[in-house]
Amino acid sequence: MSRKKTPRSKGAGTPAANGPRPARSGTARPGPDAPPNGSLQPSRPSLGGGDFYDVAFKVMLVGDSGVGKTCLLVRFKDGAFLAGTFISTVGIDFRNKVLDVDGVKVKLQIWDTAGQERFRSVTHAYYRDAHALLLLYDVTSKASFDNIQAWLTEIQEYAQHNVVLMLLGNKVDSAHEHKVKREDGEKLAKEYGLPFMETSAKTGLNVDLAFTGIAKELKQRSMKAPGEPRFRLHDYVKREGRGDSCCRP
Amino acid sequence: PRVDPYGFERPGDFDYAAYEEFFSTYLVILTRRAIKWSKLLKGSGRVQKSPTVKRYVRKGVPLEHRARVWMALSGAQAQMDQNPGYYQRLLQGEGDPGLEDAVSTDLNRTFPDNVRFRDSAQPSLQKALFNVLVAFGRHNRGVGYCQGMNFIAGYLILVTRDEEESFWLLDALVGRILPDYYGPGMLGLKTDQEVLGDLVRAKLPAVGALLDRHGVLWALLVSRWFICLFVDVLPVETVLRIWDCLFNEGSKIIFRVALTLIKQHQALILEATSVPDICDRFKQITRGSFVMECHTFMQKIFSEPGSLSMAAVARLRERHRAQLLAQG
Repeated sequence: MSRKKTPRSKGAGTPAANGPRPARSGTARPGPDAPPNGSLQPSRPSLGGGDFYDVAFKVMLVGDSGVGKTCLLVRFKDGAFLAGTFISTVGIDFRNKVLDVDGVKVKLQIWDTAGQERFRSVTHAYYRDAHALLLLYDVTSKASFDNIQAWLTEIQEYAQHNVVLMLLGNKVDSAHEHKVKREDGEKLAKEYGLPFMETSAKTGLNVDLAFTGIAKELKQRSMKAPGEPRFRLHDYVKREGRGDSCCRP
Repeated sequence: PRVDPYGFERPGDFDYAAYEEFFSTYLVILTRRAIKWSKLLKGSGRVQKSPTVKRYVRKGVPLEHRARVWMALSGAQAQMDQNPGYYQRLLQGEGDPGLEDAVSTDLNRTFPDNVRFRDSAQPSLQKALFNVLVAFGRHNRGVGYCQGMNFIAGYLILVTRDEEESFWLLDALVGRILPDYYGPGMLGLKTDQEVLGDLVRAKLPAVGALLDRHGVLWALLVSRWFICLFVDVLPVETVLRIWDCLFNEGSKIIFRVALTLIKQHQALILEATSVPDICDRFKQITRGSFVMECHTFMQKIFSEPGSLSMAAVARLRERHRAQLLAQG
């Protein structure tokens, strides 16, 4: 994907690491600061959560209304599926989860957003502080897949140029007709150079993997040890991702 | 799980003891208000705005009169009377697949904790919800359907038990009482969030300074409050008491509620040390006995924030609206 250069992105090879970003000036429509804003923090209690972590990153879930963003998040956070017990997300909300990545405690602060188009003008202010974006469509909804292009345009405009981005085709467990073939998702992902998987918040297929992959990538970007082999997110999801053949009705 | 009078399942950790204690006192108030309202409404055909009615409304409209009083005070009744058959014609009119899809997506995600809104309920209020939202989208094409309206329409249906009245009340809220919260640009919503920021800076400067220092956007903290008019934010009974005043006095009531919540918990908020921490505390302040005890809470919203003239709110709105438009 050809990324628009922004002054912010100049020379920055990593989104998160090594020192705080310049202080924001005054109240001129600032974004929310993820507490350590991706920078290294010595192990200490995270404020508000009570859990310990070494490094923290902000991840955002985006995609059309009803593609399963909240369910994906709850599956990852609590290992549960919200069958008919969840409400449509209005506005923006977040949940934290700490992962152990190769001995490092990585806190993901995961932001869940309303998918309806008109809410984008409210939520895109948060894109620029995101270190990673998970872009979802619903494999049973062609419209949600067709809108991926529009989401990518939005992301190009508002997110950091080096944000970690992953495309997920959710609801792959669904007994409803699959309107988007796996190959279509793969093709689109390839076109934009994105890692891609099909997921199911219901069965849990590839859900932990998506977040773990993001966490590994962000952790290595911020604190790669000399001599440590480079983590490749594309290869990781290709190697570890599972098909849904087990779950088809 | 046990179910409240509106059909909502009480959560597993519901504090029955605290609720009983509150409700035994509130029941006395409810009874007294019911007698007063019965006298007020007896004989007179239609409720009209007046200082007496305003005082009565602030003390709470009994559930059995709520639909009638909301309909009268909001102007919804007048609209319904002037447009007989209009709602039915909207339902029979030309469809818009985009609108219907957007509404359908949210049907199962509106009050899954309410037994009357279950798919399996007989009859399920999902059908009424669909009709009201689709009719509204066809009626007000500029707004169409915006997420959040599902929760508002849901409450209207629970209170009125009537689709057509719910439709006209939704029209009163979206079309007249609230300033453009739900249109494609959500300009009124963004404006009011900034207005609340200014009011907090003026009335609760320490909180204003904390939020400015952390550069937290008000949208993050309060967008649900405005978009859902406190549905699923505050307890049901408290929301309905707020709406009593909203239909009679207009949208500045929302600022009164927000300011009261923030002022009451100022010390708690000021202990926050990060943006997520501030967010958590803004969720905490919408729970507990302070908001459950709706009668006391409603007294506080008219005393705690101090004076709040409609003219002052209008000035702030005008300024922020112009700023937002200039920013594009």
